[in-house]
Amino acid sequence: MKVSQGKSKTHLFLACFVVAAIAVSIFSGCSSSSSGSSKALTKVNLQIKWLPQSQFMGYYVAQQKGYFKQEGLDVNIISGGSDIIPEQQVNNGVANIGVTWTSSLMKYQEKGWNLKEISQTFQKSGMLLVSKKSSNINSVADLKGKKVSSWFGGNEYELYALLGKNNLNKDKDVTLVQQDFTMNQLISGQVNAAQAMTYNEYGLLLENGLKDSDINTIDMNNAGVAMLEDCLFVKSDWASKNKETLVKFLKAANKGWADACDDPDSAGSYIYTKNKSVSLAHQKYMAEQVAKLVETSDIDESKIGYMDNGKIQQTADLGLKYGLLSKAIDVSKVYDTTYWKEATENNS
Amino acid sequence: MKSKRKNWTDYTLPIAFGVMIILLWQCKVFHALLGLQTYQLPLPTDIVSALSQNFGKTLSDCIVTISGAMIGLVIGSCIGFIFAVIATWFPKWGYGSIILISAINAIPLVALSPIMNLWFKTGMGQRIGVVTIVCMAAMTFNSYSGLSSIKPFSLDLMQMTAANKWTVFTKLRIPNSLPYIFTALKINIATSIMAAIISEYFATSTSGLGFGIKDNLRKAEMAMGWGYIVVASIVGVILYCVIVLIEHQAIKWHPSQR
Repeated sequence: MKVSQGKSKTHLFLACFVVAAIAVSIFSGCSSSSSGSSKALTKVNLQIKWLPQSQFMGYYVAQQKGYFKQEGLDVNIISGGSDIIPEQQVNNGVANIGVTWTSSLMKYQEKGWNLKEISQTFQKSGMLLVSKKSSNINSVADLKGKKVSSWFGGNEYELYALLGKNNLNKDKDVTLVQQDFTMNQLISGQVNAAQAMTYNEYGLLLENGLKDSDINTIDMNNAGVAMLEDCLFVKSDWASKNKETLVKFLKAANKGWADACDDPDSAGSYIYTKNKSVSLAHQKYMAEQVAKLVETSDIDESKIGYMDNGKIQQTADLGLKYGLLSKAIDVSKVYDTTYWKEATENNS
Repeated sequence: MKSKRKNWTDYTLPIAFGVMIILLWQCKVFHALLGLQTYQLPLPTDIVSALSQNFGKTLSDCIVTISGAMIGLVIGSCIGFIFAVIATWFPKWGYGSIILISAINAIPLVALSPIMNLWFKTGMGQRIGVVTIVCMAAMTFNSYSGLSSIKPFSLDLMQMTAANKWTVFTKLRIPNSLPYIFTALKINIATSIMAAIISEYFATSTSGLGFGIKDNLRKAEMAMGWGYIVVASIVGVILYCVIVLIEHQAIKWHPSQR
């Protein structure tokens, strides 16, 4: 009986596998055939880095207001998740355009993946290292001997740079632990300091009843260890064959971002209708904070997505020094400004 | 019937087959078949060199994961066996324990790991907790079969000699259940390593094979990620062989071992 049970399990598993494989092949077959025979709209798949939330509001607003459609595009936004890697999705052709961190993209490029950055959405780092006032971490040096959490998986390098720059050994002077996607470890005191994005986790702390005055923050920009985050990237050979589509996408996306930054409140509300993530207030908060990363003192709405060679160089330099990259890279090969320039040339 | 003496081809042919697979892999035959690039499926030489560069870290991660898996395996198997004994000893109501174990067995691993995160402060506690629960079921089901599927004439003989319940249990039921227990252990070896690795995906701890696999695959260190996968399989095979050897010694009388 034991044996037959095991066998039938194997058979069941095999059957499920076969069914799934057939389903996938039919599904992919359908989508490619329908895109070929559909109306005038060109289908574009956008892979975002995380769940639908205000972090990606520009694309949602462009969709809401029909900017993509005006350019003749039918943009499908594919939700991300903790083990959905945008670089892998774009490389495999699941998506045409992806959102990822510039630092992470560099790593994939170094490993031989044929991917290129085409727009730098966030001009500044949105990363903070936060701690409760009671932990008495007023400077980086105070982190010595403390328990610090990180999301890892490529998100740890700004933290490594922060520690390294301040002469702390990441393996000996602090205890690094894995951080989940809530802030409960910090709130309950399991860790002394945690990574937090200005637009997401910091807001979670406030929503959990902490006040600004209860939280100590170290800002990666002020600490001189900022590495670039959200950017748009494509597979090089897809981009060269679909230049027109890509330029249209960037035009519409930038219009969406400009509107969203003008009115983060309604952008946040719209995104909450798309995906009820955390709360309406949280999405509005996030929209407001993200706007500050997209439009800065030197980047107005006509230059959204501008790729600053100096900042990209700093990302690569820090990456090389603190373990992200294994050899120096030519940063001019990280990004390609052709599409962005064409998309923004008529902006005053 | 096969002759008992092993021929040299019994060893060399399987090894040659394995070597051939690795050679095909190295010569990118699988890459051509599946349309993969080497950054998607690293070559064996790259995996070996990544492993040798990070040997110390991999070894310590391996020890962490395996010790957690083994402790969990022992605790889980013992609890599972106790449940089977209860079900056999008290046939009227004890069968409830089998149902209970079935219910626990249905909890998905991915749900179990975050729960254990809440229960235990350390990564090791969490890992052992997950493995313990996952290892209970196979042991309960198998040893219950072994303890209860007694040949009627053996039981008759025991009763004829006025053996009491305890004697029947130790002299008849336990020996009868041994092959079943080893089957459960062989299942649990693989399960425990898998459970330990999956639990590390959700753990706060940054050591262990599971964290190494997840972290490296996410940040494009494919060769190192595969290195961890290779280590996990090698350890799995070694532990399986150990159990088979112990089994061979423990139940020499059983037809399956002759």
